[in-house]
Amino acid sequence: MSVVAKYRQVFLTGIQTSLVYRWNFAIRATFSLLHLVYIFILWGAAYAGQTDIGGFPLAATLTYFVVLLILQFFLSAANDDYEISEEIRNGLINQFLTKPINYFAYRLSLYFSARIVTGVLSLLPFLCILPFIGPKLALPAGEHLAFYAVAAPALLLSAFIQFTIAYCFGMLTFWFLEIQSFIILSLAVEAVLGGQIFPLDLMPPWLYQLSSWLPYYYQMYFPTALLTGRITDLSAALQGLAIQAGWALTLFLLARYLWTRGLRRHTAVGG
Amino acid sequence: MSALLRHLRIWLASIRYSLVRAMMFRGDFLMWALVELFWMSVNVLLVGVIYDHTDSIAGWSKYEMLLLVGTTLLVQRLLMAFFWSNLFELGRNVRSGTFDFFLAQPGWPLFMVSTRKFDLDGLVNVPVALAIVIYAAQRLHLDPSAAQILVYAGLVGCGLILHYATLLAIISLVFWLQSAKGIEGGYFGLTEFSRLPREALRGVAQVVFVYALPVVVVSNVPARLLIHGFEPAMLALMAGVTVFWLAVAIAVFHAGLRRYSSASS
Repeated sequence: MSVVAKYRQVFLTGIQTSLVYRWNFAIRATFSLLHLVYIFILWGAAYAGQTDIGGFPLAATLTYFVVLLILQFFLSAANDDYEISEEIRNGLINQFLTKPINYFAYRLSLYFSARIVTGVLSLLPFLCILPFIGPKLALPAGEHLAFYAVAAPALLLSAFIQFTIAYCFGMLTFWFLEIQSFIILSLAVEAVLGGQIFPLDLMPPWLYQLSSWLPYYYQMYFPTALLTGRITDLSAALQGLAIQAGWALTLFLLARYLWTRGLRRHTAVGG
Repeated sequence: MSALLRHLRIWLASIRYSLVRAMMFRGDFLMWALVELFWMSVNVLLVGVIYDHTDSIAGWSKYEMLLLVGTTLLVQRLLMAFFWSNLFELGRNVRSGTFDFFLAQPGWPLFMVSTRKFDLDGLVNVPVALAIVIYAAQRLHLDPSAAQILVYAGLVGCGLILHYATLLAIISLVFWLQSAKGIEGGYFGLTEFSRLPREALRGVAQVVFVYALPVVVVSNVPARLLIHGFEPAMLALMAGVTVFWLAVAIAVFHAGLRRYSSASS
Protein backbone atom coordinates (compact mmCIF):
# COMPACT_ATOMS: atom_id res chain seq x y z
CA MET A 1 0.00 0.00 0.00
CA SER A 2 1.46 3.38 -0.99
CA VAL A 3 2.06 6.05 1.61
CA VAL A 4 -0.71 8.25 0.20
CA ALA A 5 -3.22 5.39 0.09
CA LYS A 6 -2.38 4.46 3.68
CA TYR A 7 -3.11 7.88 5.13
CA ARG A 8 -6.06 8.44 2.79
CA GLN A 9 -7.62 5.37 4.40
CA VAL A 10 -6.97 6.88 7.84
CA PHE A 11 -8.52 10.13 6.64
CA LEU A 12 -11.65 8.36 5.34
CA THR A 13 -12.01 6.37 8.56
CA GLY A 14 -11.65 9.63 10.47
CA ILE A 15 -14.48 11.17 8.44
CA GLN A 16 -16.74 8.22 9.33
CA THR A 17 -15.80 8.43 13.02
CA SER A 18 -16.46 12.16 13.10
CA LEU A 19 -19.81 11.74 11.39
CA VAL A 20 -20.95 9.50 14.25
CA TYR A 21 -20.83 12.65 16.40
CA ARG A 22 -22.46 14.90 13.78
CA TRP A 23 -25.22 15.98 16.14
CA ASN A 24 -22.72 17.01 18.76
CA PHE A 25 -20.81 19.10 16.24
CA ALA A 26 -24.05 20.62 14.96
CA ILE A 27 -25.13 21.45 18.52
CA ARG A 28 -21.71 22.92 19.28
CA ALA A 29 -21.91 25.04 16.15
CA THR A 30 -25.39 26.22 17.09
CA PHE A 31 -24.20 27.08 20.60
CA SER A 32 -21.37 29.06 19.06
CA LEU A 33 -24.03 31.30 17.55
CA LEU A 34 -24.76 32.34 21.14
CA HIS A 35 -21.17 33.53 21.37
CA LEU A 36 -21.73 35.50 18.20
CA VAL A 37 -24.85 37.12 19.62
CA TYR A 38 -22.82 38.05 22.72
CA ILE A 39 -20.09 39.54 20.52
CA PHE A 40 -22.61 41.56 18.48
CA ILE A 41 -24.24 42.94 21.64
CA LEU A 42 -20.99 43.72 23.49
CA TRP A 43 -19.21 45.40 20.61
CA GLY A 44 -22.40 47.08 19.41
CA ALA A 45 -22.70 48.68 22.85
CA ALA A 46 -18.98 49.57 22.92
CA TYR A 47 -19.28 51.32 19.55
CA ALA A 48 -22.37 53.31 20.60
CA GLY A 49 -21.64 57.00 20.00
CA GLN A 50 -18.42 56.47 18.03
CA THR A 51 -17.67 55.48 14.45
CA ASP A 52 -14.48 53.50 15.00
CA ILE A 53 -12.47 51.67 17.62
CA GLY A 54 -8.76 51.20 16.96
CA GLY A 55 -9.29 52.61 13.45
CA PHE A 56 -11.91 50.04 12.46
CA PRO A 57 -15.68 50.55 12.11
CA LEU A 58 -18.16 48.26 13.87
CA ALA A 59 -18.83 46.23 10.68
CA ALA A 60 -15.11 45.41 10.34
CA THR A 61 -14.87 44.24 13.96
CA LEU A 62 -18.00 42.09 13.71
CA THR A 63 -16.72 40.58 10.45
CA TYR A 64 -13.45 39.78 12.21
CA PHE A 65 -15.26 37.79 14.91
CA VAL A 66 -17.56 35.96 12.46
CA VAL A 67 -14.63 34.88 10.25
CA LEU A 68 -12.62 33.91 13.34
CA LEU A 69 -15.43 31.75 14.64
CA ILE A 70 -15.86 29.94 11.32
CA LEU A 71 -12.10 29.41 11.05
CA GLN A 72 -12.03 27.97 14.55
CA PHE A 73 -14.32 25.17 13.44
CA PHE A 74 -12.11 24.46 10.41
CA LEU A 75 -8.75 24.79 12.16
CA SER A 76 -8.94 24.30 15.95
CA ALA A 77 -7.41 21.08 17.18
CA ALA A 78 -10.31 20.77 19.59
CA ASN A 79 -9.84 17.25 20.91
CA ASP A 80 -6.65 15.95 19.36
CA ASP A 81 -4.48 16.61 22.43
CA TYR A 82 -6.84 14.62 24.68
CA GLU A 83 -7.11 11.77 22.19
CA ILE A 84 -3.33 11.53 21.79
CA SER A 85 -2.97 11.62 25.55
CA GLU A 86 -5.51 8.81 25.94
CA GLU A 87 -3.77 6.70 23.29
CA ILE A 88 -0.45 7.03 25.09
CA ARG A 89 -1.92 6.42 28.54
CA ASN A 90 -3.96 3.40 27.48
CA GLY A 91 -1.09 1.88 25.50
CA LEU A 92 -2.94 2.21 22.19
CA ILE A 93 0.16 3.72 20.60
CA ASN A 94 1.91 0.36 21.02
CA GLN A 95 0.32 -0.86 17.80
CA PHE A 96 2.00 1.97 15.87
CA LEU A 97 5.44 1.05 17.12
CA THR A 98 5.44 -2.26 15.29
CA LYS A 99 3.71 -1.16 12.10
CA PRO A 100 4.93 0.98 9.18
CA ILE A 101 2.73 3.88 10.25
CA ASN A 102 4.04 7.29 11.23
CA TYR A 103 2.08 8.34 14.30
CA PHE A 104 2.36 12.07 13.51
CA ALA A 105 1.05 11.55 9.96
CA TYR A 106 -1.68 9.25 11.29
CA ARG A 107 -2.90 11.87 13.77
CA LEU A 108 -2.57 14.65 11.20
CA SER A 109 -4.81 12.70 8.81
CA LEU A 110 -7.40 12.29 11.59
CA TYR A 111 -7.12 16.00 12.43
CA PHE A 112 -7.90 17.01 8.83
CA SER A 113 -10.84 14.61 8.60
CA ALA A 114 -12.37 15.87 11.86
CA ARG A 115 -11.86 19.50 10.87
CA ILE A 116 -13.59 19.00 7.52
CA VAL A 117 -16.63 17.47 9.20
CA THR A 118 -16.86 20.09 11.97
CA GLY A 119 -16.08 22.93 9.56
CA VAL A 120 -18.76 21.96 7.05
CA LEU A 121 -21.34 21.28 9.77
CA SER A 122 -20.58 24.62 11.40
CA LEU A 123 -21.36 26.39 8.15
CA LEU A 124 -24.99 25.23 8.25
CA PRO A 125 -26.12 27.40 11.19
CA PHE A 126 -24.02 30.27 9.86
CA LEU A 127 -25.77 30.04 6.49
CA CYS A 128 -29.12 30.11 8.29
CA ILE A 129 -28.29 33.38 10.05
CA LEU A 130 -26.41 34.98 7.16
CA PRO A 131 -29.45 36.91 5.87
CA PHE A 132 -29.76 38.53 9.33
CA ILE A 133 -26.12 39.31 10.06
CA GLY A 134 -24.95 39.83 6.46
CA PRO A 135 -25.93 43.55 6.33
CA LYS A 136 -23.88 44.18 9.51
CA LEU A 137 -20.69 42.73 8.03
CA ALA A 138 -18.13 44.22 5.64
CA LEU A 139 -15.36 42.36 3.85
CA PRO A 140 -12.42 44.32 2.43
CA ALA A 141 -12.71 45.85 -1.07
CA GLY A 142 -11.41 44.28 -4.33
CA GLU A 143 -7.87 45.65 -4.02
CA HIS A 144 -7.42 43.34 -1.02
CA LEU A 145 -7.09 40.30 -3.35
CA ALA A 146 -3.32 40.07 -2.83
CA PHE A 147 -3.95 39.52 0.89
CA TYR A 148 -6.30 36.63 0.12
CA ALA A 149 -3.44 35.06 -1.83
CA VAL A 150 -1.27 35.30 1.29
CA ALA A 151 -4.17 34.02 3.44
CA ALA A 152 -4.36 30.70 1.53
CA PRO A 153 -0.93 29.37 2.65
CA ALA A 154 -1.42 31.13 6.01
CA LEU A 155 -4.54 29.03 6.62
CA LEU A 156 -2.71 25.79 5.85
CA LEU A 157 0.20 26.76 8.08
CA SER A 158 -2.25 27.82 10.78
CA ALA A 159 -3.88 24.37 10.65
CA PHE A 160 -0.46 22.75 10.88
CA ILE A 161 0.54 24.91 13.86
CA GLN A 162 -2.78 24.22 15.60
CA PHE A 163 -2.35 20.49 15.19
CA THR A 164 1.33 20.43 16.10
CA ILE A 165 0.78 22.36 19.33
CA ALA A 166 -1.99 19.93 20.28
CA TYR A 167 0.30 17.01 19.35
CA CYS A 168 3.09 18.39 21.55
CA PHE A 169 0.68 18.72 24.49
CA GLY A 170 -0.44 15.13 23.91
CA MET A 171 3.22 14.05 24.01
CA LEU A 172 3.51 15.49 27.53
CA THR A 173 1.59 12.38 28.68
CA PHE A 174 4.91 10.52 28.47
CA TRP A 175 6.07 12.65 31.42
CA PHE A 176 2.88 13.68 33.23
CA LEU A 177 -0.10 11.61 34.33
CA GLU A 178 -2.59 14.41 33.75
CA ILE A 179 -2.16 17.03 31.02
CA GLN A 180 -5.63 18.63 31.01
CA SER A 181 -4.52 21.59 33.10
CA PHE A 182 -1.62 22.30 30.69
CA ILE A 183 -4.07 22.24 27.80
CA ILE A 184 -6.62 24.55 29.45
CA LEU A 185 -3.86 26.98 30.46
CA SER A 186 -2.57 26.97 26.91
CA LEU A 187 -6.12 27.54 25.65
CA ALA A 188 -6.39 30.64 27.84
CA VAL A 189 -3.08 32.00 26.51
CA GLU A 190 -4.18 31.12 22.98
CA ALA A 191 -7.54 32.82 23.49
CA VAL A 192 -5.85 36.10 24.39
CA LEU A 193 -2.74 36.04 22.20
CA GLY A 194 -4.58 34.38 19.31
CA GLY A 195 -7.07 37.23 19.13
CA GLN A 196 -10.14 35.25 20.16
CA ILE A 197 -11.13 37.59 22.98
CA PHE A 198 -10.44 40.85 21.15
CA PRO A 199 -8.62 41.77 17.93
CA LEU A 200 -4.92 41.94 18.85
CA ASP A 201 -4.50 45.31 17.13
CA LEU A 202 -6.56 46.85 19.96
CA MET A 203 -3.79 46.03 22.44
CA PRO A 204 -1.07 48.58 23.19
CA PRO A 205 1.39 48.68 20.22
CA TRP A 206 4.32 47.18 22.17
CA LEU A 207 2.19 44.23 23.27
CA TYR A 208 0.89 43.74 19.74
CA GLN A 209 4.47 43.71 18.41
CA LEU A 210 5.49 41.20 21.05
CA SER A 211 2.53 38.92 20.31
CA SER A 212 3.39 38.90 16.59
CA TRP A 213 6.56 36.96 17.39
CA LEU A 214 4.69 34.22 19.26
CA PRO A 215 3.11 31.14 17.66
CA TYR A 216 -0.35 31.95 19.09
CA TYR A 217 -0.59 34.99 16.81
CA TYR A 218 -0.37 32.66 13.81
CA GLN A 219 -2.96 30.19 15.04
CA MET A 220 -6.03 32.36 14.43
CA TYR A 221 -5.36 36.08 14.40
CA PHE A 222 -3.00 36.19 11.42
CA PRO A 223 -5.19 34.38 8.85
CA THR A 224 -8.33 36.10 10.16
CA ALA A 225 -6.70 39.53 9.99
CA LEU A 226 -5.55 38.83 6.42
CA LEU A 227 -9.07 37.82 5.38
CA THR A 228 -10.84 40.70 7.09
CA GLY A 229 -8.57 43.58 6.17
CA ARG A 230 -6.97 44.21 9.56
CA ILE A 231 -3.52 43.73 8.03
CA THR A 232 -3.20 46.26 5.22
CA ASP A 233 0.55 46.27 4.61
CA LEU A 234 1.58 43.59 2.09
CA SER A 235 5.19 43.49 3.23
CA ALA A 236 4.01 42.98 6.83
CA ALA A 237 1.73 40.17 5.58
CA LEU A 238 4.63 38.44 3.79
CA GLN A 239 6.87 38.89 6.80
CA GLY A 240 4.12 37.34 8.93
CA LEU A 241 3.90 34.39 6.55
CA ALA A 242 7.65 33.82 6.86
CA ILE A 243 7.49 33.91 10.68
CA GLN A 244 4.50 31.58 10.56
CA ALA A 245 6.43 29.09 8.39
CA GLY A 246 9.32 29.34 10.85
CA TRP A 247 7.02 28.48 13.75
CA ALA A 248 5.47 25.58 11.80
CA LEU A 249 8.94 24.11 11.23
CA THR A 250 10.06 24.73 14.83
CA LEU A 251 6.97 23.10 16.27
CA PHE A 252 7.28 20.15 13.91
CA LEU A 253 10.86 19.58 15.06
CA LEU A 254 9.74 19.92 18.68
CA ALA A 255 6.99 17.36 18.09
CA ARG A 256 9.50 14.89 16.63
CA TYR A 257 11.87 15.48 19.53
CA LEU A 258 9.14 14.90 22.13
CA TRP A 259 8.03 11.70 20.37
CA THR A 260 11.57 10.33 20.26
CA ARG A 261 12.34 11.26 23.86
CA GLY A 262 8.91 10.17 25.06
CA LEU A 263 9.24 6.71 23.52
CA ARG A 264 12.40 6.17 25.55
CA ARG A 265 10.31 6.56 28.70
CA HIS A 266 7.38 4.57 27.37
CA THR A 267 6.72 1.07 28.61
CA ALA A 268 4.44 -1.06 26.46
CA VAL A 269 2.59 -3.47 28.72
CA GLY A 270 -0.38 -5.76 28.37
CA GLY A 271 -1.24 -8.59 26.01
CA MET B 1 -35.39 15.79 57.89
CA SER B 2 -33.21 12.81 58.73
CA ALA B 3 -32.81 12.12 55.01
CA LEU B 4 -31.63 15.68 54.52
CA LEU B 5 -29.12 15.36 57.35
CA ARG B 6 -27.89 12.04 55.98
CA HIS B 7 -27.29 13.61 52.55
CA LEU B 8 -25.56 16.57 54.15
CA ARG B 9 -23.25 14.18 55.97
CA ILE B 10 -22.52 12.39 52.69
CA TRP B 11 -21.71 15.75 51.07
CA LEU B 12 -19.35 16.70 53.91
CA ALA B 13 -17.65 13.30 53.63
CA SER B 14 -17.22 13.85 49.87
CA ILE B 15 -15.73 17.29 50.49
CA ARG B 16 -13.33 15.85 53.06
CA TYR B 17 -12.28 13.11 50.64
CA SER B 18 -11.78 15.67 47.84
CA LEU B 19 -9.65 17.87 50.10
CA VAL B 20 -7.42 14.95 51.04
CA ARG B 21 -7.11 14.01 47.37
CA ALA B 22 -6.26 17.60 46.40
CA MET B 23 -3.47 17.62 48.98
CA MET B 24 -2.17 14.32 47.63
CA PHE B 25 -1.80 15.86 44.16
CA ARG B 26 -0.59 19.32 45.20
CA GLY B 27 1.13 20.10 41.90
CA ASP B 28 -2.06 19.33 40.03
CA PHE B 29 -4.09 21.44 42.43
CA LEU B 30 -1.74 24.43 42.01
CA MET B 31 -1.79 24.07 38.24
CA TRP B 32 -5.60 24.09 38.12
CA ALA B 33 -5.78 27.05 40.47
CA LEU B 34 -3.41 28.86 38.11
CA VAL B 35 -5.53 27.90 35.10
CA GLU B 36 -8.65 29.37 36.70
CA LEU B 37 -6.79 32.49 37.75
CA PHE B 38 -5.57 32.99 34.21
CA TRP B 39 -9.07 32.62 32.74
CA MET B 40 -10.34 35.17 35.25
CA SER B 41 -7.57 37.54 34.16
CA VAL B 42 -8.68 37.12 30.55
CA ASN B 43 -12.13 38.47 31.47
CA VAL B 44 -10.67 41.42 33.33
CA LEU B 45 -8.27 42.08 30.45
CA LEU B 46 -11.19 42.26 28.01
CA VAL B 47 -12.79 44.99 30.14
CA GLY B 48 -9.47 46.86 30.21
CA VAL B 49 -8.93 46.66 26.45
CA ILE B 50 -12.46 47.77 25.53
CA TYR B 51 -12.45 50.66 28.00
CA ASP B 52 -9.11 51.81 26.55
CA HIS B 53 -11.17 52.69 23.48
CA THR B 54 -14.51 53.73 24.95
CA ASP B 55 -15.85 55.39 28.12
CA SER B 56 -19.08 53.51 28.53
CA ILE B 57 -20.85 50.31 27.55
CA ALA B 58 -24.63 50.70 27.65
CA GLY B 59 -24.23 53.42 30.28
CA TRP B 60 -21.92 51.32 32.50
CA SER B 61 -18.56 52.83 33.38
CA LYS B 62 -15.32 50.82 33.50
CA TYR B 63 -15.52 50.03 37.22
CA GLU B 64 -19.25 49.28 37.12
CA MET B 65 -18.44 46.79 34.37
CA LEU B 66 -15.61 45.38 36.47
CA LEU B 67 -18.04 44.94 39.36
CA LEU B 68 -20.39 43.07 37.03
CA VAL B 69 -17.61 40.85 35.69
CA GLY B 70 -16.29 40.26 39.24
CA THR B 71 -19.75 39.13 40.35
CA THR B 72 -19.99 36.72 37.40
CA LEU B 73 -16.54 35.33 38.20
CA LEU B 74 -17.52 34.91 41.85
CA VAL B 75 -20.58 32.84 40.95
CA GLN B 76 -18.60 30.82 38.40
CA ARG B 77 -15.79 30.05 40.86
CA LEU B 78 -18.37 28.69 43.30
CA LEU B 79 -19.87 26.58 40.54
CA MET B 80 -16.41 25.30 39.60
CA ALA B 81 -15.70 24.43 43.24
CA PHE B 82 -18.91 22.59 44.04
CA PHE B 83 -20.56 21.31 40.87
CA TRP B 84 -18.61 21.69 37.61
CA SER B 85 -16.54 18.46 37.70
CA ASN B 86 -19.54 16.45 38.85
CA LEU B 87 -21.84 17.58 36.08
CA PHE B 88 -19.08 17.54 33.46
CA GLU B 89 -18.38 13.91 34.33
CA LEU B 90 -22.09 13.09 34.24
CA GLY B 91 -21.88 13.43 30.46
CA ARG B 92 -18.96 10.99 30.26
CA ASN B 93 -20.43 8.59 32.80
CA VAL B 94 -23.76 8.22 31.02
CA ARG B 95 -21.95 7.34 27.80
CA SER B 96 -19.63 4.82 29.41
CA GLY B 97 -22.21 3.29 31.71
CA THR B 98 -20.32 4.35 34.84
CA PHE B 99 -23.47 6.26 35.73
CA ASP B 100 -24.85 2.93 37.04
CA PHE B 101 -22.51 3.38 40.00
CA PHE B 102 -24.40 6.52 41.09
CA LEU B 103 -27.79 4.84 40.76
CA ALA B 104 -26.62 2.05 43.04
CA GLN B 105 -25.58 4.46 45.80
CA PRO B 106 -27.84 4.90 48.84
CA GLY B 107 -28.95 8.47 48.08
CA TRP B 108 -30.93 10.65 45.70
CA PRO B 109 -29.37 10.12 42.23
CA LEU B 110 -29.21 13.84 41.38
CA PHE B 111 -27.65 14.64 44.73
CA MET B 112 -25.08 11.85 44.43
CA VAL B 113 -24.22 12.92 40.88
CA SER B 114 -23.88 16.59 41.84
CA THR B 115 -21.83 16.34 45.02
CA ARG B 116 -19.33 13.51 44.59
CA LYS B 117 -16.39 15.85 43.97
CA PHE B 118 -15.35 19.18 45.37
CA ASP B 119 -12.67 21.24 43.59
CA LEU B 120 -10.52 23.21 45.98
CA ASP B 121 -8.81 25.01 43.07
CA GLY B 122 -12.13 26.65 42.21
CA LEU B 123 -12.65 27.74 45.80
CA VAL B 124 -9.17 29.27 46.23
CA ASN B 125 -9.99 31.71 43.45
CA VAL B 126 -13.19 32.89 45.16
CA PRO B 127 -11.17 35.46 47.19
CA VAL B 128 -9.66 36.71 43.93
CA ALA B 129 -13.13 37.24 42.44
CA LEU B 130 -14.21 38.89 45.70
CA ALA B 131 -11.16 41.14 45.54
CA ILE B 132 -12.18 42.27 42.04
CA VAL B 133 -15.68 43.12 43.33
CA ILE B 134 -14.27 45.00 46.36
CA TYR B 135 -11.69 46.86 44.25
CA ALA B 136 -14.36 47.94 41.74
CA ALA B 137 -16.70 49.00 44.60
CA GLN B 138 -13.92 51.10 46.14
CA ARG B 139 -13.13 52.79 42.82
CA LEU B 140 -16.85 53.59 42.52
CA HIS B 141 -16.83 54.98 46.10
CA LEU B 142 -19.62 52.60 47.08
CA ASP B 143 -20.40 52.13 50.74
CA PRO B 144 -22.92 49.26 50.92
CA SER B 145 -24.85 48.68 54.15
CA ALA B 146 -24.71 45.38 56.01
CA ALA B 147 -28.20 44.55 54.67
CA GLN B 148 -27.00 45.19 51.11
CA ILE B 149 -23.99 42.91 51.60
CA LEU B 150 -26.19 40.19 53.08
CA VAL B 151 -28.69 40.37 50.23
CA TYR B 152 -25.78 40.48 47.74
CA ALA B 153 -24.50 37.21 49.24
CA GLY B 154 -28.00 35.73 48.92
CA LEU B 155 -28.21 36.83 45.30
CA VAL B 156 -24.82 35.27 44.58
CA GLY B 157 -26.27 32.06 46.07
CA CYS B 158 -29.26 32.36 43.71
CA GLY B 159 -26.77 32.91 40.89
CA LEU B 160 -24.96 29.72 41.85
CA ILE B 161 -28.24 27.78 41.74
CA LEU B 162 -29.08 29.31 38.35
CA HIS B 163 -25.69 28.40 36.89
CA TYR B 164 -26.06 24.90 38.30
CA ALA B 165 -29.53 24.57 36.77
CA THR B 166 -28.32 25.81 33.37
CA LEU B 167 -25.41 23.37 33.34
CA LEU B 168 -27.53 20.46 34.58
CA ALA B 169 -30.20 21.03 31.92
CA ILE B 170 -27.56 21.20 29.17
CA ILE B 171 -25.50 18.20 30.30
CA SER B 172 -28.69 16.14 30.78
CA LEU B 173 -29.06 16.23 27.00
CA VAL B 174 -26.50 13.41 27.03
CA PHE B 175 -29.36 11.03 27.86
CA TRP B 176 -30.72 11.73 24.37
CA LEU B 177 -27.42 12.14 22.48
CA GLN B 178 -24.67 9.55 22.02
CA SER B 179 -22.04 11.71 23.65
CA ALA B 180 -21.72 14.86 25.71
CA LYS B 181 -18.73 15.96 23.63
CA GLY B 182 -19.08 19.66 22.98
CA ILE B 183 -22.47 20.22 24.57
CA GLU B 184 -20.98 21.71 27.74
CA GLY B 185 -20.00 24.54 25.38
CA GLY B 186 -23.66 25.56 25.56
CA TYR B 187 -23.17 26.47 29.20
CA PHE B 188 -20.24 28.75 28.41
CA GLY B 189 -22.19 30.19 25.47
CA LEU B 190 -25.12 31.08 27.69
CA THR B 191 -23.17 32.33 30.70
CA GLU B 192 -21.21 34.78 28.55
CA PHE B 193 -24.33 36.92 28.65
CA SER B 194 -23.96 37.30 32.40
CA ARG B 195 -21.02 39.61 31.70
CA LEU B 196 -23.24 41.99 29.75
CA PRO B 197 -25.10 44.95 31.26
CA ARG B 198 -28.84 44.43 30.98
CA GLU B 199 -29.17 47.78 29.20
CA ALA B 200 -27.01 46.52 26.31
CA LEU B 201 -29.72 44.06 25.30
CA ARG B 202 -32.65 45.30 23.27
CA GLY B 203 -35.63 43.82 21.42
CA VAL B 204 -35.68 40.06 20.99
CA ALA B 205 -32.30 39.68 22.74
CA GLN B 206 -33.73 41.40 25.82
CA VAL B 207 -36.82 39.16 25.87
CA VAL B 208 -34.74 35.98 25.43
CA PHE B 209 -31.69 36.65 27.60
CA VAL B 210 -33.19 38.83 30.31
CA TYR B 211 -36.69 37.46 30.80
CA ALA B 212 -36.99 34.02 29.14
CA LEU B 213 -33.51 32.77 30.13
CA PRO B 214 -31.96 33.95 33.40
CA VAL B 215 -28.44 34.50 32.06
CA VAL B 216 -28.34 38.28 32.36
CA VAL B 217 -30.19 38.79 35.64
CA VAL B 218 -27.90 36.27 37.34
CA SER B 219 -25.10 38.84 37.60
CA ASN B 220 -26.88 42.12 36.87
CA VAL B 221 -29.22 41.95 39.86
CA PRO B 222 -26.47 41.53 42.51
CA ALA B 223 -24.20 44.09 40.80
CA ARG B 224 -27.03 46.61 40.54
CA LEU B 225 -27.86 46.05 44.19
CA LEU B 226 -24.41 47.32 45.17
CA ILE B 227 -24.43 50.17 42.64
CA HIS B 228 -28.03 51.39 42.80
CA GLY B 229 -29.38 49.94 46.07
CA PHE B 230 -32.49 47.80 46.55
CA GLU B 231 -34.79 47.25 43.56
CA PRO B 232 -37.63 45.01 44.87
CA ALA B 233 -38.88 44.07 41.40
CA MET B 234 -35.40 42.82 40.45
CA LEU B 235 -35.06 40.83 43.66
CA ALA B 236 -38.44 39.20 43.07
CA LEU B 237 -37.45 38.40 39.48
CA MET B 238 -34.22 36.78 40.66
CA ALA B 239 -35.99 34.65 43.28
CA GLY B 240 -38.70 33.64 40.79
CA VAL B 241 -36.35 32.60 37.99
CA THR B 242 -34.11 30.70 40.42
CA VAL B 243 -36.99 28.50 41.61
CA PHE B 244 -38.41 28.10 38.10
CA TRP B 245 -35.14 27.15 36.35
CA LEU B 246 -34.04 24.79 39.09
CA ALA B 247 -37.39 22.98 38.72
CA VAL B 248 -36.94 22.85 34.92
CA ALA B 249 -33.39 21.45 35.20
CA ILE B 250 -34.47 18.78 37.70
CA ALA B 251 -37.36 17.81 35.43
CA VAL B 252 -35.02 17.50 32.41
CA PHE B 253 -32.61 15.36 34.43
CA HIS B 254 -35.36 13.02 35.60
CA ALA B 255 -36.83 12.77 32.10
CA GLY B 256 -33.36 11.76 30.95
CA LEU B 257 -32.98 9.33 33.80
CA ARG B 258 -36.13 7.52 32.68
CA ARG B 259 -34.50 7.05 29.23
CA TYR B 260 -31.25 5.73 30.64
CA SER B 261 -30.75 2.02 30.09
CA SER B 262 -27.08 1.63 31.05
CA ALA B 263 -24.27 1.19 28.52
CA SER B 264 -21.03 -0.58 27.99
CA SER B 265 -17.73 1.19 27.58
